[in-house]
Amino acid sequence: MTNPPATTPAPLGGAGSSGAGAVHSGRGGAGTSAWPALPVGRKISNVVFWVLCFLALAAIVVPTLWLVGGILVRAIPHFSFSVITTDGYGAAQGGLENAILGTLYITVGVLLVSGTISILTGLYLAEFASKGRTRSVLRGAYEVLAGIPSIVLGLVGYLALVIGLHWGFGLLPAILVLSVITVPYITKATETSLSQVPVSYREGAEALGLRQGWTLRRVVFKSAIPGIVTGLLVAIAISVGETAPLLLTAGWNTSNPSLAMTHAPVGFLTYAIFNFWDLDTSTSLTLSYDAALILLVFVLLLILLGRVIVAISRRNAE
Amino acid sequence: MARFSNASPIRWLGLGGAVVPLLMLLFVLVTLIIKAIPALEYSGLKMFTGTTWNFGAQYGTPVKSYGLLHDPGEEFGALPEILGTLATSAIALIIAVPVSIGAALVIVERLPRRLANWFGIFLELLAGVPSVIVGLWGVLTFGPFIAHDVAPFIADNAPSWLPFLKGNTGHGQGLLISGLVLAVMVIPIIAATARDLIRSVPILPREGAMALGMSDFQTARKVTLPWVGAGLVGAVVLGLGRALGETIAVAMVCGVALGSLPTNLYADMITIAANLVQNIDTAILDKMDISAFAALALILLTITLIANIVARLLVRRVSGTALPVGRGL
Amino acid sequence: MAKNFRLVFTAAALVPLTVLAAACGSSTPSSSSSSPPTSSAATSGKITETGSTLLFPLFGYWQSGYKSVAPSVSMTLGATGSGTGIADAASGLVNIGASDAYLSSSDMAQYPGLEDIPLTVAALMVNYNVPGISKPLNLNGTVLAEIYTGKITSWNDAAIKALNPGVSLPSLPIVTLHRADSSGSTFLFTSYLDAQDPSAWPSTNIGTTITWPKVSGQLAETGSGGMVSGCKATKGCIAYVGISYLAKTSAAGLGEAALANKAGKYTQPNSSTIAAALSSFGAPPSDGAMSLINTSAAGGYPIINYEYGIVKTTQPNATDASLIKAFLNWVVTTGNTSTYLSKVGFQPLPSAALSIAKSQISAISG
Repeated sequence: MTNPPATTPAPLGGAGSSGAGAVHSGRGGAGTSAWPALPVGRKISNVVFWVLCFLALAAIVVPTLWLVGGILVRAIPHFSFSVITTDGYGAAQGGLENAILGTLYITVGVLLVSGTISILTGLYLAEFASKGRTRSVLRGAYEVLAGIPSIVLGLVGYLALVIGLHWGFGLLPAILVLSVITVPYITKATETSLSQVPVSYREGAEALGLRQGWTLRRVVFKSAIPGIVTGLLVAIAISVGETAPLLLTAGWNTSNPSLAMTHAPVGFLTYAIFNFWDLDTSTSLTLSYDAALILLVFVLLLILLGRVIVAISRRNAE
Repeated sequence: MARFSNASPIRWLGLGGAVVPLLMLLFVLVTLIIKAIPALEYSGLKMFTGTTWNFGAQYGTPVKSYGLLHDPGEEFGALPEILGTLATSAIALIIAVPVSIGAALVIVERLPRRLANWFGIFLELLAGVPSVIVGLWGVLTFGPFIAHDVAPFIADNAPSWLPFLKGNTGHGQGLLISGLVLAVMVIPIIAATARDLIRSVPILPREGAMALGMSDFQTARKVTLPWVGAGLVGAVVLGLGRALGETIAVAMVCGVALGSLPTNLYADMITIAANLVQNIDTAILDKMDISAFAALALILLTITLIANIVARLLVRRVSGTALPVGRGL
Repeated sequence: MAKNFRLVFTAAALVPLTVLAAACGSSTPSSSSSSPPTSSAATSGKITETGSTLLFPLFGYWQSGYKSVAPSVSMTLGATGSGTGIADAASGLVNIGASDAYLSSSDMAQYPGLEDIPLTVAALMVNYNVPGISKPLNLNGTVLAEIYTGKITSWNDAAIKALNPGVSLPSLPIVTLHRADSSGSTFLFTSYLDAQDPSAWPSTNIGTTITWPKVSGQLAETGSGGMVSGCKATKGCIAYVGISYLAKTSAAGLGEAALANKAGKYTQPNSSTIAAALSSFGAPPSDGAMSLINTSAAGGYPIINYEYGIVKTTQPNATDASLIKAFLNWVVTTGNTSTYLSKVGFQPLPSAALSIAKSQISAISG
């Protein structure tokens, strides 16, 4: 964010006229007070303004607490750790182990596929691409990709991979679709953190006569890793929290996933939240809330991990 | 700039990786366009202006049009969905923008540093909550609350020349609640960016305004906010992009009323994304229905792309929150 | 650090190779079972099913019962609605799709090689939430069609009173419930409306998903369970639910309508009325698709149906084919005894339908 120079007089000129008129009314006899009394109108407008702004803040805090608190209050009393270790069976019965493992497998797969593609893309864009057409085309591609709604990508995955290529529901279509969704985030993180490595590092390495490849690996990449890891955390958050594209590519399975990539539907946690809450069995609503609880805890851990990484990298940077 | 033009294997590997997003994008566009063409030919302009959506007489005699065998009597009028998508996003922004800017002003100018950091975590948490959980809260807790406590109040007290705000207040799903749920998801995006932008306004102009005797409200209105104007607009458009593409939370609270324009603020409605996710099982049995869905996806894609392109032209990149912003979960 | 880098690049090279291998592997269809195929293929493996919420409770009982016969066959069940059952079976995403509706000519034209196998006989109730009514209300297709098109809006309408002389009906607005998901129950209900009164309900509006006429206050529910809970929560509601949910509707305090059959008599679904209706229809055609709606038998219930298992005749491999055949043969014989059917109020297949089903099952190969 570039700041214009601090001494532009332009905004002040317009503002002065509206404020100046009111000041005079307060000027009474000399010596009675150090400051002119603020006119009541302005005091009221200040108070009203900040009250409204604090209400705005409350309008953010209250729903967040209500949302998170609501899930915690409803899920924790009925939560038992056996939910994590029991398979599902029938519809919305049993536990969530199948869903947790499914989400885990999918996330690992997304990190491998999307991580590889994105880091290579970010590397290329930051280090090798010449300014101009190649770079803007490649960067434009992933920025456009970032704007595509996930349901559209899920639909394309369903039509082209699940039905079109006859892969059926499985890990592979799910991983590929989620990779398309997460590539822009990791790429952006990689490109940004690579280009933020100080030029002095590179110049120092060159002055020492180090080979370029060596410098890239040992110096540049190493200092860019916290930023890249943050991007990977974003990818994990997306893989874990997505519903619509997985509904169309992963299907659902009440048994634990195998390593089969196609023709093997996989359970995932957000399915339990989306589909179980209005099923009619005695355990369905509980399972839905349990899955929500697990996801919330996980997202909270991801946020804290992100903050820790940023703090560590800040400590190491200087 | 090209810093390492000679590290060959890494360079070629990098190029190989960098081409993949481009291929992904082309694949998505080509697949959708090819699939969508029969339905677009079949419906013509009525896809954008018609209000009836009919999946066809499933047990009638199949007919053949534009190369596809399909059920007779299908009608694809997507106007209610397009309007629904735009209306819910509009409601979301109307609520989210003042709330986000007001909250950002408080966080930057009034709160002590430590509290401000805690609110940063708050915003990240709200941004990171999976949208299916927001939808669950919306349909089980927030929706009934709005329907029983807030909506009757609005409907009773709204002036009679605004009939859209009056009438049957529904049962916990509909246009108002979809807009509110979207607002909850869009606020963290706009608020976090607004906070970073407002924080970057230099102290000197603000001190100058204070010296001239401007009230805080006038300072905000005439100094702080205009300073970051373009960036704020960009953040708002980013939030709009997220709202337009949001699928699951809206699908859970909109009431899925296919083919009808909502009669008032509280009526059931549908958005393009909600239609795609809820009715895919009906559509998959009929090739023309699938083609219509591909066309809907293209329409949604176009709307969100326009919003995102405008955003990227306006927003200067601020290294913002660590969690996903700017897309529909 | 250099080692980590080489690891990254090796992984990067492996990714496209894995994708290629998976794609090549899937063009020759792989077994859908996660356990390695054994020599006695019919007794171990995996069967996947999804579809009708009406049939789902019984499928659960079948699953536990079959486990004692074939312990190493595992089954995944789903309750997603008949339309999804047909769609997923047609796309090869599940082995068996459960559906209350037989395949349409459009389905059979688009998916040749898909068959609908009658598995049992079920019925559909019409339930309502009207406090103060103790006797079952008489309703017929004309009145129901007018309710669902918005012409009749209150429970004390003259048309309803005419069918129920002597019953004091409250002036309560009617809230119509219909299925939001693609549902065989919707197919059965709309078939009944059209069969009784084609002018009030056209035949183009029959299906698992239809365009419901706009009625103010109408609600859409997901799944048969959703219909029950939605009706319980809404005074004045009317809904259509499968008979396998009778215990739930009674527990929720919902009334059960007595429906008019073609002979003009009003009946509620129970084993004798279902059996009377069943015997008034002849043998199903060889493809199994037959409507059992609107019987002309005086003591017969007008909304009964065959529950179908939608299966592809050509399965991806021999293991799947033999697993499915063994299970389905068990279902139409042992699974059709009162041990299972009495829990859900269904009736066993009559002998003509049974032989059709058996020949359809033997046509499955892999």
